[in-house]
Amino acid sequence: MFIIFYYTYIEIGKHLYFSALGTNHRCFQGDSLWGQHCDCAEHDLPKDRAISRLQEELYRLQEKKQPPKSSLSTIFVITPTYARLVQKAELTRLSQTFLHVPQLHWILVEDSPRKTPLVSNFLMKSGLTYTHLNVPTAKERKLQEGDPSWLKPRGVEQRNEGLRWLREDRKTEPGDNGQQGVVYFADDDNTYSLQLFEEMRSTQRVSVWPVGLVGGMKFESPVVEGGKVVRFHTGWRPSRPFPMDMAGFAVSLRLVLANPDACFDGEAPMGFLESSLLKGLVTADELEPKADNCTKVLVWHTRTEKPKMKREEALQVQGLGSDPAVEV
Amino acid sequence: MPKRRDILAIVLIVLPWTLLITVWHQSAIAPLLAIRKACHHLVKEIFIIPERLAVHHHRLSDEGAEGRREAGGQDSKEYCASDKDIVEVVRTEYVYTRPPPWSDVLPTIHIITPTYSRPVQKAELTRIANTFLHVPNLHWILIEDSQRRTPLVTSLLRETGLNYTHLNVETPKNFKIRGDTRDPRIPRGTMQRNLALRWLRETFKNNSQPGIVYFADDDNSYSLELFEEMRSTRKVSVWPVAFVGGLRYESPKVNAAGKVYGWKAVFDPHRPFAIDMAGFAINLKLILSKPQAYFKLRGVKGGYQESSLLRELVTLNDLEPKAANCTKA
Repeated sequence: MFIIFYYTYIEIGKHLYFSALGTNHRCFQGDSLWGQHCDCAEHDLPKDRAISRLQEELYRLQEKKQPPKSSLSTIFVITPTYARLVQKAELTRLSQTFLHVPQLHWILVEDSPRKTPLVSNFLMKSGLTYTHLNVPTAKERKLQEGDPSWLKPRGVEQRNEGLRWLREDRKTEPGDNGQQGVVYFADDDNTYSLQLFEEMRSTQRVSVWPVGLVGGMKFESPVVEGGKVVRFHTGWRPSRPFPMDMAGFAVSLRLVLANPDACFDGEAPMGFLESSLLKGLVTADELEPKADNCTKVLVWHTRTEKPKMKREEALQVQGLGSDPAVEV
Repeated sequence: MPKRRDILAIVLIVLPWTLLITVWHQSAIAPLLAIRKACHHLVKEIFIIPERLAVHHHRLSDEGAEGRREAGGQDSKEYCASDKDIVEVVRTEYVYTRPPPWSDVLPTIHIITPTYSRPVQKAELTRIANTFLHVPNLHWILIEDSQRRTPLVTSLLRETGLNYTHLNVETPKNFKIRGDTRDPRIPRGTMQRNLALRWLRETFKNNSQPGIVYFADDDNSYSLELFEEMRSTRKVSVWPVAFVGGLRYESPKVNAAGKVYGWKAVFDPHRPFAIDMAGFAINLKLILSKPQAYFKLRGVKGGYQESSLLRELVTLNDLEPKAANCTKA
């Protein structure tokens, strides 16, 4: 009996000895009970084990196309679009940005009496989570050929339709989880950095940030002092209640659902479209500034040049136009 | 009164067990403590590991690989503070700028993009980087038209996480566009593209790695299928390009045998290669085998820039039509 205890004692003594030397000497853990004096700089076993576990995890994650559904709140992006030559190019580029953003639900609303095959096929192949809607703009509200782009507000009915669908859809998802989310109005010709979507995810009511290359300025931005928006840096009509661009704010889903009548007013004067929605939802001092207290530009109001079709038109007169079967 | 022998027996029984229990307890905690200390280092490693395993070939970036991942926006301290298992950290962490893992079998696509400073530069580069982040085995060669590499482009490239090379060469003033951007006599981006070709030739001189070279401008739109189409280029492959030359699209004319015999273009269709810069890709081996082939800088008529390079590399017969025999834009 004494012999057994003696052996146990020796064993424990060795363990104690090595652990007393400090956490660096962990060579004895694992297989070798007898504490072979290995070169401990190489065999940092727990760290190695942790690293190999992490590597396995990483490989598994990389195989999946998207990260597993996590506690991230969904970003609902409402984009109005209309048929024109560059439509497919714009939507393609935009979808390539959205594909990087997890938990994003794209609500694409066409300005058209019917869903077009171009957009339907495009969305099917995009790999995104989407909802395809359509609502035509009334003729008198539509911009005519030759009208300057600022003459009539664009995308109003489409954005409102997006909001209406969202409210309907959320009714079928009761509970607190269904109310979590952020609503963002993204136009199909702007440029969005991926960081923007992470900034907006934490929106509690309405969050705001600077927008580049808009309103004739390098950027328009809310001015933040003491963590609150005190005024707006803009060159055009700063007296508007919310003098910012559509791309410069996001609304929490909860707020959208709590105010079922809040929508864009198509009759609002030029530049007041954003205010027509926001004034029913929030006051200026409740705005949450993002992008490092509104010091970083994460979205740009880029415009796409209209492609020149002079030669196409000349050929079509001769009956030799580009093959219409080739979708552009 | 208990005998001394019994006391000794009890001590010898109890002592080892208490020591054993203490040691077990300690050995459970010590690794955790070590892991917490190593956690900060490991969280950085989480991002670096794929790169180290993935990238094989030579990269000419002045900043090391460490700088790339740090700007991912995650603070390692947030995650290391908790006692949670490190595997948890990997699950909840989202790396939003991460190109696909490098593959050993796919040929690398070297994308040459000249760029210059103007208000929309950062926006254009951001959105084209978002596109490139989807393409595996992509190497972006960005050449600035400037005297020095600008901090804007340097930090943008670093933050994207892409595999890149950052070069610069300034176009001399007398070559630069003089106000009129539509003037086709002055070729834009030529010196920058030539510098990239020279860099490729110097870098891959003794390297037989398969690669494809594509000239992508920073203001175009690219579908992801395009990059997969061009990967199989043996010499020079071609495809239609939309909204160029005043047409809905310009395209090579392909006969029933799958060979290019002409050009569907209205703007000077008798050019040797009536194609836009975005309409063709060249196999790297061809570039390396013809070290004199560059874009002509002087005396190039409008629209002939592409031809000035391609005619030194290939004949019409060697062109490989892609995009379903050039029927898709």
